[in-house]
Amino acid sequence: MSEEKKYRKVRIKRGPKGWGGPLIIEPKPGRDLIYSVTGGGIHPLAQHIANLTGGRPFDGFKSKADFSEIAVAVIDCGGTARVGVYPMKKVPTVDIYPTSPSGPLMRFITEEYFVSGVRPEDVELVDE
Amino acid sequence: MVKYFAKISQIGPLVDEFISGGVLVFFGQNAPEELREFAILHDGETLNEDIVVGDQFCIANECFTILAIGEVANQNLKALGHFIIKFNGEHKPEMPGDICTEVRPLPPIRVGDTFAFKSAN
Repeated sequence: MSEEKKYRKVRIKRGPKGWGGPLIIEPKPGRDLIYSVTGGGIHPLAQHIANLTGGRPFDGFKSKADFSEIAVAVIDCGGTARVGVYPMKKVPTVDIYPTSPSGPLMRFITEEYFVSGVRPEDVELVDE
Repeated sequence: MVKYFAKISQIGPLVDEFISGGVLVFFGQNAPEELREFAILHDGETLNEDIVVGDQFCIANECFTILAIGEVANQNLKALGHFIIKFNGEHKPEMPGDICTEVRPLPPIRVGDTFAFKSAN
């Protein structure tokens, strides 16, 4: 058989002071980037999600990708800009910080596309 | 003392909307495309010392006193050249990334203008 890539599904829930979610994330061929838009390279939480799902960790500050290739965006946003941009583009978004909808783009921040305050233990595999 | 200094290299098409809300969003030059739309990009590199309440934010020759600074603001500036300024007169940051200043009209901001964070004396 050819090398068929195996992806797994995870559920990401909000952390203790977080908001939104839970998000179900399942990378697919062509849409498997775990898109880290964080300071200092791939964030450990993005790496963790990549390890669990089989998605590819990707540094949004180093390289370019299409929104259609992103399985989930991981941000360390203090509440104004990045929290809104990815949900606006319908990209599921995980904020490390426990932010709630705010900022000029807050109307796009919904429980369906956004979860915050997430710690590694808030990410769990979903059994099929 | 100048703590951070930079020149504006690009102004996104949606920045005006944020200005009317009294908010400016800054990022360094390597910001992904999707963040450039509403951000002011700049060439700043080094934060010499953490910004604290009482410092000044100066842009296009106008200076604003900083009234509040969120707990992740300095870190964002260091790592990404990223910060959010709210000209809202608040003494408590609404969000952890916020830098709040006194309320005054903003000067016109153009590519090539400079901005700086300075200590008060």
